[in-house]
Amino acid sequence: MSIALEQVTKRYQGQPVVNDVSLNVAEGEFFVLLGPSGSGKSTLLRAIAGLVDIDQGTIALHGSDVTNVGARQRGVGFVFQHYALFRHLTVAENIEFALRVRRMKAADRRARRAELLKLVALEGMDQRLPAQLSGGQQQRVAVARALAHKPQVLLLDEPFGALDAKIREELRRTIRIVQRELGITTVLVTHDQEEAFALADRIGVMNLGRLLEVGAPRDLYARPATRFVATFLGAANLLLAQQNAEGLRFGSAALDATVRQPLPAGREHEVVTVLRPEEIELAATREQLTSSFIARATVEEMQFTGALERLRLKLLDNQHALQSSGGNGEASMEVTRVQPERRALPLSVGDTVVLGARRLHVLPTPLSSFAIHASDTAACQGLLQAPLLATLAARMKTRLVSCAELPDDARGAQGITPGVAVIAAGAGAADQTAQLLRAGANEVLLLNPDTGLPQQVCMYWLDDAARHATLAVAASLLRHLPADALCIATAPAGRRDPQRAQALRALLDARSEARAAHALETRTELVPGEAPQAVAEFLAGLAAPLLVLGAADTTAAQSTLAQLHARLPAMPVMVVYREGAVALRREAGR
Amino acid sequence: MRWRREPSVIPGFGITFGFTTFFLCALVLLPLSALVVKGAGLDWARFIEVVTDPRAVASYKLSFGASLVAATINIVFGFIVAWTLVRYRFPGRRFIDAIIDMPFALPTAVSGLALSAVFAANGWLGQYLEPHGIKVVYAPLGITIALTLIGMPFVVRTVQPALEELPRDVEEAAATLGASPFYTFFRVILPALMPAMLTGFTLAFARAVGEYGSITFIAGNIPMQTEITPLLIIIRLDEYDYAAAAAIGCVMLAISFAMLLAINLIQLWGRRRVSASARR
Repeated sequence: MSIALEQVTKRYQGQPVVNDVSLNVAEGEFFVLLGPSGSGKSTLLRAIAGLVDIDQGTIALHGSDVTNVGARQRGVGFVFQHYALFRHLTVAENIEFALRVRRMKAADRRARRAELLKLVALEGMDQRLPAQLSGGQQQRVAVARALAHKPQVLLLDEPFGALDAKIREELRRTIRIVQRELGITTVLVTHDQEEAFALADRIGVMNLGRLLEVGAPRDLYARPATRFVATFLGAANLLLAQQNAEGLRFGSAALDATVRQPLPAGREHEVVTVLRPEEIELAATREQLTSSFIARATVEEMQFTGALERLRLKLLDNQHALQSSGGNGEASMEVTRVQPERRALPLSVGDTVVLGARRLHVLPTPLSSFAIHASDTAACQGLLQAPLLATLAARMKTRLVSCAELPDDARGAQGITPGVAVIAAGAGAADQTAQLLRAGANEVLLLNPDTGLPQQVCMYWLDDAARHATLAVAASLLRHLPADALCIATAPAGRRDPQRAQALRALLDARSEARAAHALETRTELVPGEAPQAVAEFLAGLAAPLLVLGAADTTAAQSTLAQLHARLPAMPVMVVYREGAVALRREAGR
Repeated sequence: MRWRREPSVIPGFGITFGFTTFFLCALVLLPLSALVVKGAGLDWARFIEVVTDPRAVASYKLSFGASLVAATINIVFGFIVAWTLVRYRFPGRRFIDAIIDMPFALPTAVSGLALSAVFAANGWLGQYLEPHGIKVVYAPLGITIALTLIGMPFVVRTVQPALEELPRDVEEAAATLGASPFYTFFRVILPALMPAMLTGFTLAFARAVGEYGSITFIAGNIPMQTEITPLLIIIRLDEYDYAAAAAIGCVMLAISFAMLLAINLIQLWGRRRVSASARR
């Protein structure tokens, strides 16, 4: 491995900006770190260069640990967004800077300089001052300067950020050629997905300090595992669908999209599907569709962008299934069509069309939407104000049903609103939870109107059958909340107790599963003592915990919840219930 | 070169240029010419005699020597002050920032008085320095200290903005290229700040050469020892020897002009390299 990061964490004033990132970049690979501003990608890059000290974790370059080595000794090539050229030095002196520092002979320096200028196509510019060059040329000089001392790793921090589109493209090509020619391991940071696609062998998507997904551009685009990657890497319509043993159902319309992991019969689960704008088929009537029908819609907005036609559609039925993308509650869908499609069915604003999905991807995320369950409207309104819930719904860009009816046991599974059931914590919450679980809910979130964002997301499961789902839910939460991840297990206090070893093994298994399946780094905590009380005591010692409680049995969930709540009435709890079998498994091979 | 005629907020090149020349003439050139004319009232032999009088020569040495030393001290410590103010955030930073300007606002006589109080043989610091043979008051050292105090804000205020504009990533770039902090400072930071530092130096030096008020308090004004040229001019005036005063003034003018010109040429030479950046 050329670059190996192990659980790297960087905090500013207690807030993690890079949170438990582990990453391996292979020799000669072009790796792109993609993320919005403030996602921690630049900080991570600077940490690799040694320009930023990290708080936890290790950084290794070519097998040697450089965590405590300064930038000067790491000797990586670094290209800054604003070039950072030495303005009082000529192009030649800039490029030779690193060589001069290393006391290379003048003749050798000259030779190396000529070689580098040729590489970046700037021959004959030696005696110019940076100020006499255009932005693109300056950045070429910066690249040549960074390569002068033959570093084994090249790091580029938004190198095209300050350039206009045309030059950007040209420089992009230059960098790709240089990288190929030298075979140098390269990490580039950008917020531009197009750039990432154009350059990367592999892309790593970051958000809120976490490295969410890593993969080849094609795989990440076609099969994202998280909502964030789905929407950040290209445009995407997120739709809520029902998944059961028969397959996917979208409102009343059944989809013949193949489902990788069918569910056991009986229980229905709400899932999030990704529908790319170019995978939507438009037709005048349902019969004319060649793909599976989703809904009818009216054309709201049209935009001509040259090669493509961009349409904004408003769904006429199945509206509830659409996740509001703008956060303004408007149920609209984005569609792009190429010119032949446009000619085959010319449309104008106000027309009604039929939508079909050529290709649907089901996100493996277990959290689809939220529905508040409370006995009266005032209580619903209270919970709607809870910062934790508001933040989650906004960051997930998902549906939040503000007031769903509480089910009564008689009606069974049909009576419940899909999604995570949200109820008020406190007296009676444990009983309500059991009731909801029996009625068909898979997740129940207990919180108070004043519940803020947690600092620790703790995972604790009552049954090993629920472990998988617990980890998945916690991982999903942690993608949207910058908090520490913690796995908890209990064991009797005795040292040589066989139960203790078993609990420890289970924790380590969970940790490696979280890492492998969710790219989530977790810490583990083995709490001595009797199960619920010991866990409650441990949680009471944390600053602002959120507990993800896994259960495979409603009665066990009920009694544990009751005991935990007696000690910590204000703590938010996400109850994850899986009936024995595992419901949603992440796609293998990611 | 053609006159530029681009629309701008202030109307017309003709008017503005007219004002510029008028002000320069009325406020700078005219008085200076008067000085030269006055000095020329002496015949050449007498002129030489007046300006090469040992007392006058001693005063030139002291005035320009102490000013140069003070400006040099200022360039070093002023840089450190500016660096501290720009690069660090600490409580009381704004307060310190405001204090820097105090020498600007203080009447020079007041600073002279204040310095005497501190450095006099029975002053706060003077009482400890005196037994060790360090004489500040009535000595060139006192003059240098006074001139340093007067010139300090010039350096800080010129270096500060230049330092603020110096991107931090340039230092980081130097570090990734393997440069030591020492190397980075002398090869990257200092050259970038050179124009500003020279300007600061020039201003501090020019101010020091012309300083009179604070020096008279602390210098003791002993002829041949602690008598600065401006004071000598005053003394000549007190003797109603206007021509001699003007003659010495002319010499001062000539030396000052020569030195400022030299510094400006150095700056010009240095700026040629960075000048293109101003056009961006």
